[in-house]
Amino acid sequence: MSAQRPLELILSRNLLSSLSTPGLLVGEGGKLLFFNEAAGAFLGRSFEDATGLDADQWTAEFGPLNPSGDPIPYEDIPATEALRQRVPFHGQFAINASGQHRPIEVTAIPIVAPDESTAAMVLFWPTDGKPIHAHPAHLADHLDDNGGTV
Amino acid sequence: MKLKVWGARGSIPAPGPETMIYGGNTSCIEVTLSDDSKLILDAGTGIRQLGMAMTAADQPVNILLTHLHMDHIQGFMFFGPVFSPESEITVWGPASPEASLRDRIARYISAPLAPVEVRELPSLLTFHEADALEWNIGPARVRAQAVNHRGPTLGYRIEDNGTVLTYIPDHEPGLGAPLASVEDEWISGFDLARDATLLVHDCQYTDTEYQNHLGWGHCPVSDALDFVRRTNPERVLLFHHDPLHSDDFLDGLGNDASTRWQELGGAADEILMAKERLELDLDQLPAPQAVGAAAGNGQRPRSRA
Repeated sequence: MSAQRPLELILSRNLLSSLSTPGLLVGEGGKLLFFNEAAGAFLGRSFEDATGLDADQWTAEFGPLNPSGDPIPYEDIPATEALRQRVPFHGQFAINASGQHRPIEVTAIPIVAPDESTAAMVLFWPTDGKPIHAHPAHLADHLDDNGGTV
Repeated sequence: MKLKVWGARGSIPAPGPETMIYGGNTSCIEVTLSDDSKLILDAGTGIRQLGMAMTAADQPVNILLTHLHMDHIQGFMFFGPVFSPESEITVWGPASPEASLRDRIARYISAPLAPVEVRELPSLLTFHEADALEWNIGPARVRAQAVNHRGPTLGYRIEDNGTVLTYIPDHEPGLGAPLASVEDEWISGFDLARDATLLVHDCQYTDTEYQNHLGWGHCPVSDALDFVRRTNPERVLLFHHDPLHSDDFLDGLGNDASTRWQELGGAADEILMAKERLELDLDQLPAPQAVGAAAGNGQRPRSRA
């Protein structure tokens, strides 16, 4: 058996794959399960490069950041506790995206599977008015053309 | 393990001279286990004639419902054993946060849609929600798992004495997911179907028809074949035929599926079309014919690593 993902998670990934809003899936313990091409365009990393990062790895790279500009540990992120309580979360953060500090808003929705495993679907978007440059459909080519940066 | 198809149609019964070969009854399959006990997969209109063929020796009755769309429960009220006080019937089906399985079925078996209520049925009826569950029925190990369709829907994997039957009659695994390339763990129904002796699977639409039915919860031929290629069952029985598809049309669809399967390197007789009253002994299936010459490598089309 392949330890197939719960259907709730499969459908969430399929939905995120089709969205132009940056989004990602975080699994048990904060493991980064998936992010869509819009998220890749914003963060400057393709999903293939970043999938499977554990919580310490992705928070170190992307944040979110405290007011001093340092990454907030996964366990201390306000969304983490909310999702652990199986309630949605909405908030504002700064993150590292494509080498820049960017303010974002985040909405996170808990996903609870029949086997009681938990994950979260996270949508986020910049609030500084700067566009996400690469069109999601062309991100892979764009990254290839620019040495992995957007 | 033996299988008999009592209804292979999807959506709505389609009786008439143009559907005499594949049949017009909706989803219902009789499974005979190694100890001769019976399982019934779905209660579409085909279950009416199955009920007429059953005897007292077939008690108790276990019915595994994949979901509660009408084409999967419509025959339940015309299934003779439910009107017999001697019958002991257990119905398994998907859970829903909205209401219990019994209450959701009672919406159909109640006024004004029906002349009787569930509570009036004289048989000993038991309902079990079967989400994310494995359990034993007689000699069989049954596994239920949610699959991608509209509303709470289960697929079933039934294993008996080393033989595996997987039943996923309503399934759209390719919705938003490229089945040819997405990882195994992200494919709906993968664990249910993997390496089964026989996979009974949705193939309601041609690829052209599917373009106008995205998100309806059903499979086009190409996705059905991709799902088979990824999950690697020994045989697949294409099922849940569209009510608009005549016998001639389904002959053509089956030939197309078989041709495309051979072009992928498979054997022609690995792809079967479900027909009413078709009987298969899963323990006696002949070895597949030689694989398609087009692939030229002598290998079945396999799942990617």
